[in-house]
Amino acid sequence: MALLELEDVHAGYGPTSVLHGVSLSVPDGGVVSLLGANGAGKTTTLRAVTGGVRWSGDIRFDGRSLRRMATEDIVRLGIAHVPEGRGICTELTVDENLKLGAHLRKDGAEVRQDYDRVFEYFPVLKERRRLSASALSGGEQQMLAVARALLMKPRLMLLDEPSLGLAPIVVRSIFEIIRSINQTSHVAVLLVEQNARIALDLSSTAYVLEVGRVAVHGESAQLQGNESVRRSYLGY
Amino acid sequence: MQEFLQQVVGGIANGGIFASLALALVLIYNAMGLVNFAQGEMAMFATFVAYALVTRGMSYWVALPITLVVAFAGGLLIQRVVIRPVERAPILTLVIITLGLAALVNGLAGFIFGYVPRSFPSPFPTDTVDLLGVFISYRDLGVIGVSGLVLLAIYLLLQRTTVGLTLRAAAHHPEASRLLGVQVSWMLALGWGLASAVGAVSGIMVAPILLLEPNMMQSIIIYAFAAAVLGGIESPLGAVIGGLIVGVTLNLAGAYLPGVGGDLQLAVGLAIIIVVLILKPNGLLGRAATRRV
Repeated sequence: MALLELEDVHAGYGPTSVLHGVSLSVPDGGVVSLLGANGAGKTTTLRAVTGGVRWSGDIRFDGRSLRRMATEDIVRLGIAHVPEGRGICTELTVDENLKLGAHLRKDGAEVRQDYDRVFEYFPVLKERRRLSASALSGGEQQMLAVARALLMKPRLMLLDEPSLGLAPIVVRSIFEIIRSINQTSHVAVLLVEQNARIALDLSSTAYVLEVGRVAVHGESAQLQGNESVRRSYLGY
Repeated sequence: MQEFLQQVVGGIANGGIFASLALALVLIYNAMGLVNFAQGEMAMFATFVAYALVTRGMSYWVALPITLVVAFAGGLLIQRVVIRPVERAPILTLVIITLGLAALVNGLAGFIFGYVPRSFPSPFPTDTVDLLGVFISYRDLGVIGVSGLVLLAIYLLLQRTTVGLTLRAAAHHPEASRLLGVQVSWMLALGWGLASAVGAVSGIMVAPILLLEPNMMQSIIIYAFAAAVLGGIESPLGAVIGGLIVGVTLNLAGAYLPGVGGDLQLAVGLAIIIVVLILKPNGLLGRAATRRV
């Protein structure tokens, strides 16, 4: 069953419309890539899900329409959105950022387990707990963003370009951890990426956006194997 | 030397009063980048509430917490009713709204309570205690104690509780906070409530020294601005330090500089604002405005 469904979603900023009828679905526990060039509408699609942009059509999470819901209520349903630019609170410490991720949870014992898990994935965050988040490198901030999202105990993670601006080796380790999070905690992932190759490796299904519409979609392995799709849409 | 120390202690007491009001300004500035020009008038109105309770026979120590709760609720209400509908308006609009609010609250207090200055009871005796040769009035000690407690309570709330954490996150990173489930709009209201309560403390502490009347806070707010600007308008700790420095400076200037004791005292406050803005615009603890490019 689909955990997240977008049906003919139109969205935009003021008079500029960006999405012209996007339909896609993310299965419970699945990993889906959303690919496409700059300006195709990938970020706007994610923002529509968490109410950051006005939209029409329908978006359903776990069968429930998100229409007219406020961002803070949508994320409380179990959606962790790591936005473009990572959304780190640089005025706060690393620890305080992590606490914010877990601040709505009442299951204290499990929260502590999740902290242990997060620090196992990202030992560097444990070392730097007391530092200001602004003192972290770009890669560490991305780790903090993913760690914080994990502490929200989400059913679905929306990740907006986790590879952006990071060294290839850091990107690989972050993607390995995302894979592990998906497999061990059964968290579904909708992944927006410019780096199509690494996204397709991780996901089972992929959608390619072109100027606000889904141009191609299918199983990731098939898209990877299809040379004309790769050349025309994925650029490698 | 002895007189000097006495002036310093008196300055610290006044500084606690300025610090409370300055902290109120900083709380709202942090939450929405807005200097609330009505802060002093809101504090004055809360002090009238305390006055009404005390003159009806209520004990000072019962009236004080009740007044703080009323001030908190009043601040919350003002944010919900007056500020929230124009939350996204340009900052100048908001500033003008707070100026209008100041005039409104001032007029309302005059309408309800009149303009006759009233003496406000102090729970502390006026006699002095000899501390190592320095004579300190119980009133100064009491003011220092009460404002110190209130500032400590706010510090613990902001730094040690989850509500404080979400309050700070919502103030500095509203978009990111929403994505983490923080009710940003309510956090702003909470900030107004807290600011209103902290500001009320300054009004209640200063009323026995001055006399209670609708214009009582108009000089105090200038010193609070000076304290907030000196400390760095974004820094709660800076507001406290700034408040103490302004308090001590004013007292010493009043005692040792001819002419400053009376009419020119306000000028010292203004001079501090101007000098800080020219020499160190971010204040003592404020960060330089930097932007990532």
